[in-house]
Amino acid sequence: MSIVLEKRPEREKRPAPITVAVAGNPNSGKTSIFNNLTGSHQQVGNWPGVTVTKKEGQLVMGSTKARIVDLPGIYSLGAYSEDEMVARDYILSGEPDVIIDVVDAGNIERNLYLTTQMLEAGGNIVIALNMLDEARRQNIHIDVRALADRLGIPVVPTVARLQQGMKELVEAVLEDAGQSKPKPFRIYYGELIESELEILEELVKTVPELTARLHPRYVAVKLLEDEDWLHKKIEALNGDTRERLMMAAGDSINRLRKHYGEDLDSALIEQRYSFIADLLKGVVTRSEDKKEKDTFTEVVDRVVLNRYLGIPIFLLVMFGMFQTTFTLGAPLSDMIETFFAWLGGWVAGGISSPLMSSLIVDAVIGGVGSVLVFVPPIFLLFLIISILEDSGYMARAAYIMDRFMQNLGLHGRSFIPLLIGFGCNVPAVMAARSLENKGDRLTTILIAPLMSCAARLPVYVLFVGIFFTAYQGLAVFSLYLLGIVLAIIAAHLFKKFLFRGEEAPFILEIPPYRIPTLKTALLHMWERGSQFLKKAGTIIFAAVVLVWAMSNLPWGVEYASQESLMGMMGSWLAPVFEPLGFGTWQAASALIFGLLAKEIVVGTLAVVYGAGEVGLAAAISSAYTPLSAFSFMVMVLVYSPCVATIAAIRRETDSRGWTAFAIGYSLVLGWVLALTVYQGGKLLGLG
Amino acid sequence: MPKKLSPSMQDYLETILDLSSTDDEVRITDIANRLNISKASTNQAIGGLVKRGMVTHRHYGPVTLTEMGRSEAEKIRYRHDVLKKLLIDVMKVDPEVAEQDACLMEHTISQETLTKLVSFMETYVVGREETEMPEKTYTRLSDLMVGTKAIIKKIVSSGSIKKRILEMGLTVGTTVEVKGVAPMGDPIDVLVKGYHLSLRKKEASLVLVEVV
Ligand SMILES: Nc1nc2c(ncn2[C@@H]2O[C@H](COP(=O)(O)OP(=O)(O)O)[C@@H](O)[C@H]2O)c(=O)[nH]1
Ligand SMILES: [Mg+2]
Repeated sequence: MSIVLEKRPEREKRPAPITVAVAGNPNSGKTSIFNNLTGSHQQVGNWPGVTVTKKEGQLVMGSTKARIVDLPGIYSLGAYSEDEMVARDYILSGEPDVIIDVVDAGNIERNLYLTTQMLEAGGNIVIALNMLDEARRQNIHIDVRALADRLGIPVVPTVARLQQGMKELVEAVLEDAGQSKPKPFRIYYGELIESELEILEELVKTVPELTARLHPRYVAVKLLEDEDWLHKKIEALNGDTRERLMMAAGDSINRLRKHYGEDLDSALIEQRYSFIADLLKGVVTRSEDKKEKDTFTEVVDRVVLNRYLGIPIFLLVMFGMFQTTFTLGAPLSDMIETFFAWLGGWVAGGISSPLMSSLIVDAVIGGVGSVLVFVPPIFLLFLIISILEDSGYMARAAYIMDRFMQNLGLHGRSFIPLLIGFGCNVPAVMAARSLENKGDRLTTILIAPLMSCAARLPVYVLFVGIFFTAYQGLAVFSLYLLGIVLAIIAAHLFKKFLFRGEEAPFILEIPPYRIPTLKTALLHMWERGSQFLKKAGTIIFAAVVLVWAMSNLPWGVEYASQESLMGMMGSWLAPVFEPLGFGTWQAASALIFGLLAKEIVVGTLAVVYGAGEVGLAAAISSAYTPLSAFSFMVMVLVYSPCVATIAAIRRETDSRGWTAFAIGYSLVLGWVLALTVYQGGKLLGLG
Repeated sequence: MPKKLSPSMQDYLETILDLSSTDDEVRITDIANRLNISKASTNQAIGGLVKRGMVTHRHYGPVTLTEMGRSEAEKIRYRHDVLKKLLIDVMKVDPEVAEQDACLMEHTISQETLTKLVSFMETYVVGREETEMPEKTYTRLSDLMVGTKAIIKKIVSSGSIKKRILEMGLTVGTTVEVKGVAPMGDPIDVLVKGYHLSLRKKEASLVLVEVV
């Protein structure tokens, strides 16, 4: 096996700015490097057509200008999930002038697999040999010079955590950008495969559509691997070329099959790994004395992943996450609420027209306030999630919970979003983004609103306090349980009928524990939180204003009375709820208001019954029976996610259809369940 | 096996097994000709078998049996042979009729009856030609105890799962060590090429290893 090394011809320096992509395996330190290079000059968005986060930034280093793109982590260019496809397509698109390949020095063998793939494709690559501090601690020594020589590309030693090597990295990148494509990098695949590759390469060279961006030899290799993306490209070619390519590829594969049988794919991959093993001989040395000793991570994992302790520790971590979020977040939210109430009162005092004052106080200030109260819990939650992710615990949480989630046909990673749902459905929906598989992600998003969030509790507390005094705890618990059972059933049905595709395999790295940096965690928190504010904020704000208008129109009507548009709509909808036991315009209005946030149901009931705290209990106990009260609570639990959640769903699914479906199915499900509860209860003589 | 194959699917599998013992490669056309069925419906049926992981057939390649498909096809073949032998040797049915009937009976006979039938034949009918089943000498990675080291010998899968397994470094000849099992018994934690990889037992069972 030999490495072909040739000097690259110089090309005149191209005018800046250049585009640089940061690629590499998951957890190799890509985002850390990206953050180091861009500072706060970042924009976060989505890749077109998919819900994969796209992070772009400007290089800030002296006078140099460059556009930097942080790619999702990948193990190879054979993509299996949406994230991976985005990264693969971008790397192969030829758009980046230089690709920074972040390689985890402590795990160099597997990391170099991607490197060899990108080199075969013909990209301009600079390796950031990262995590050198960790490698040193494990007594792994890497001869950087020798590695660079053998690969024929620049290798820059870095420790992204400590910002070491960043300047050198930028220099190497800028220098590389001024040079033309390197001479083809070759892996020797053995005589048989090589002779077929030669035939295919000659043929591919005659098809400019295929070689515009990719190296002909790479295309030939991928023909043998029968990759889907390449096949699609070939299908789009004109008839004659297409036939010739397909025939040639088919013939080559058949000839090789005689020798390799089913294992042609394996042969290619194994050759790459043995190429890497040869390459690393003499480059990587491990001091033997430490080799047999367990690493720090292994010692910790003996406890954290222990058969008996693993689950209790996991639950404790989750509990801690919740406690922190809601005990720290709730007072902050309260403060924001109080502030906006005070602001409203202060502003109202200065405006004489009652309608004008109501518009500004209830709609505008109230609208902004109802968006901002979400800020503390959401920001805190994402801060903690980011810390758990960067420390390596999230991968372990998925590992621990996977068996349980398999029962629902879901992935271990779905557990966290669903659990978060008990706090608030909005971050739950947003957290589903960590799921690679689209079907899993959509299923998780669709069932997350069934987790009974904290905002629904005040409604339960009100009704349970009036009707189920003897077993308050049990009644509330039954509603939480109902949500979980519904989620399980719904997950099964969605997986079975809507997302039938193959199950995502659970093949994940368990990274070593690492101390997360506050900077990364804060950046991540800001990124997710501000995205929520920007996109969901407008929807929530619009909904608040709309509901305000409906409560005050037509002109001069008493706020939210039966004569207001809201009241009229309530009266009009009431018959729909008749069979559920609460066919009053007050209940219907409360449910409509509850779309803003479910706890508003309580406040609305107080307004529409024109009663204070005490009067409300009396009004409700005369308007409801215990059975219809329970039926109402079931409706509040299930019917439509609140607008903030709807906004999050719209954002994360990037689809009106799925958003409508999420609303539609929960409306129908809520209605049917409440009906079953009420009519079933009546049949049993509970009415 | 997820679901019982329909009789016609069983026929397809059997035909592919037949053809692959004589021809170097089996093409859709060959199968269609042998079964006297149109190419279009053959294509469709093969698609069904691909979905079930019984055969592999990519855009322009030949049709090949997977490990699972082969063992399934061999089982069907075995049933066929046993029944034919019974009809001809014991019941003295005309060979041609026996062949046809065996073809029909093989699809419907239960595993229990077949087992009984085999032991009956073994007891009463001498000189039976053994139909060999492939022998398994390797262990599955999913069956290893925690702490066991083993060398990877084969990945019995196809398509993207196989590729992913290989690309993560579980290549033939690599030494792996099972480091742990998740608290609920699945997935497992395997040390490979110096890093920890977690994979479900379902995926680990596709990796055949030899304990060292
Ligand atoms: N010890 C050490 N940790 C690092 C280094 N670079 C990144 N990390 C940490 O590794 C974890 C994953 O890094 P991240 O940049 O998110 O990786 P990504 O998944 O490739 O984007 C974080 O906890 C980082 O703080 C490094 O050079 N040395
Ligand atoms: Mg990252």
